[in-house]
Amino acid sequence: MNVLETRDLCMTYGIKTPFEKTALDHVSVGFEKGDLVGIIGHTGSGKSTLVQQLNGLLRPTAGQVLLDGTDIWAEPKAIRQVRFRVGMVFQYPEHQLFEETCYKDIAFGPKNMGLSDEEIDARVRQAAAYVGLQPTLLDKSPFDLSGGEKRRVAIAGVMAMQPEVLILDEPTAGLDPKGRDTILDQIRAYRDENHSTVLLVSHSMEDVARTADKVLVMDHGRVAMYDTTETVFSHADTLGELGLAVPAVTRVFMGLRARGIPVGENAYTVEQAAEALLPHLRKGGDR
Amino acid sequence: MLTDITIGQFFPGSSPLHRMDPRVKLVVIFAYIVLIFIPHNWWGLLLCVAYLLAGVLLSGLPFRLIFRSIKPILPLIVITTLLNVFYISGGQTLVQWQFIHITTGGVGNAVFIAVRIVALIIGSSLLTYTTSPTTLTDALERLMSPLNLLHVNVHEISMMMTIALRFIPTLIEETDKIMSAQKTRGADLESGGLVQRVKALVPVLIPLFVSAFRRACDLATAMECRCYRGGEGRTRMKQLHMRRSDFVFLGSAVVLCAALITLNILLPSSLI
Repeated sequence: MNVLETRDLCMTYGIKTPFEKTALDHVSVGFEKGDLVGIIGHTGSGKSTLVQQLNGLLRPTAGQVLLDGTDIWAEPKAIRQVRFRVGMVFQYPEHQLFEETCYKDIAFGPKNMGLSDEEIDARVRQAAAYVGLQPTLLDKSPFDLSGGEKRRVAIAGVMAMQPEVLILDEPTAGLDPKGRDTILDQIRAYRDENHSTVLLVSHSMEDVARTADKVLVMDHGRVAMYDTTETVFSHADTLGELGLAVPAVTRVFMGLRARGIPVGENAYTVEQAAEALLPHLRKGGDR
Repeated sequence: MLTDITIGQFFPGSSPLHRMDPRVKLVVIFAYIVLIFIPHNWWGLLLCVAYLLAGVLLSGLPFRLIFRSIKPILPLIVITTLLNVFYISGGQTLVQWQFIHITTGGVGNAVFIAVRIVALIIGSSLLTYTTSPTTLTDALERLMSPLNLLHVNVHEISMMMTIALRFIPTLIEETDKIMSAQKTRGADLESGGLVQRVKALVPVLIPLFVSAFRRACDLATAMECRCYRGGEGRTRMKQLHMRRSDFVFLGSAVVLCAALITLNILLPSSLI
């Protein structure tokens, strides 16, 4: 059963102006409960437009977005309820912090949901723990934190609403490798613990490869591919035609095979690659 | 919703009006805005409207877009028209009911002034629709350069204007993004009374200010890194050149001015 689904979703910007542009063209995809889907595509492929449709920030020109089988625009007045159920973390989310303390900022979402004070407190602390934020930081001003910490506060602000579907737009942009790995691990952990659906928009094939179970490839406002991570990254040629690349490790493996070294299946994370290569190295290689 | 703002928005194109020297365009349209107040009779006004229509046709912009520029000032036009209709009397009486007294003179005046306002707005939006903000400030800087003799720093003023204009779309986009982000967290920006709405804006305004200051700092650093130190000795990549068509256009404005004054002298005034 799909928790979130789109049917022939179309979106055109600036209708009847010289700037008219079709951003989504009959997109029909479904996301199941507990899925961790990576959404990739080059700039202008419609990724951001698609995810903004999913929580009702943009209204489709045609087609539907179904949440648990009901059209989210069936009752436009209740769109806020949809936004509580489909949470979204924007690119550079630290730019939206505004409260005096991190605690208050994380509590902004739950407060808008009309939860009780105890519930809000519990959720703020839980969300802070998910993103690995020190409890001592909660009373500090978000503007005094480092870039990585700010990012965590902002992500926690959405996680505290405990949405059934969590969408993250480039959550690792501009972070150092360590910060990136931590955030991706925490996103996975959040999914495992809450069984929520997580959609991860990213430009980094490595991020998607090591985090997502499924990959949705967008191109010119259409779905180019939607399959398991292995299957998508085994189509290196198709990805290349779309202006995308497979992870660097996968490229290395393809190169090795092209040289006649039988390294077996494709690997798309460093861990998998290490596992596949170690036996060869122990044997001293086949050459 | 914020992207619907069209005032001062440039619509790229290659029409004769787009390619015109921006200095000439600025002068002619500025002159036109003054000229629109010269005619005191219908023929003169008709000439002004015809001149504007020619400009609109030359710009190659869709009429729908031109009319959209009037929308924001529609209330102003309605109020002026009503005031004129009710308060100016002269000529034949059309309606006489209790204190309401409508005359042909009043209606005539109302239409005359409404046409003036509409022509004024369309004229000035023609300028911004067909000239990119950077070209416009460039032209302004050139036209104001004599002020340098009075120790007015024209370059700094025009640089500030360029930067301000350049960042309007960026800030609109930024506002849109922050609003979306806060809406995602359940901020209710669209309902409630005045006080509630103002309060709801706090989560949008604070991040917006923070980012505006951040951008300003970044821009200042970037400019210093490229050794910017004011306009002294700075050359331009795009030189402005007057072409024959520019002189024709300039001449047409002079002819219009002369025609309007002649008409005013020859014909009796239609205004009261």
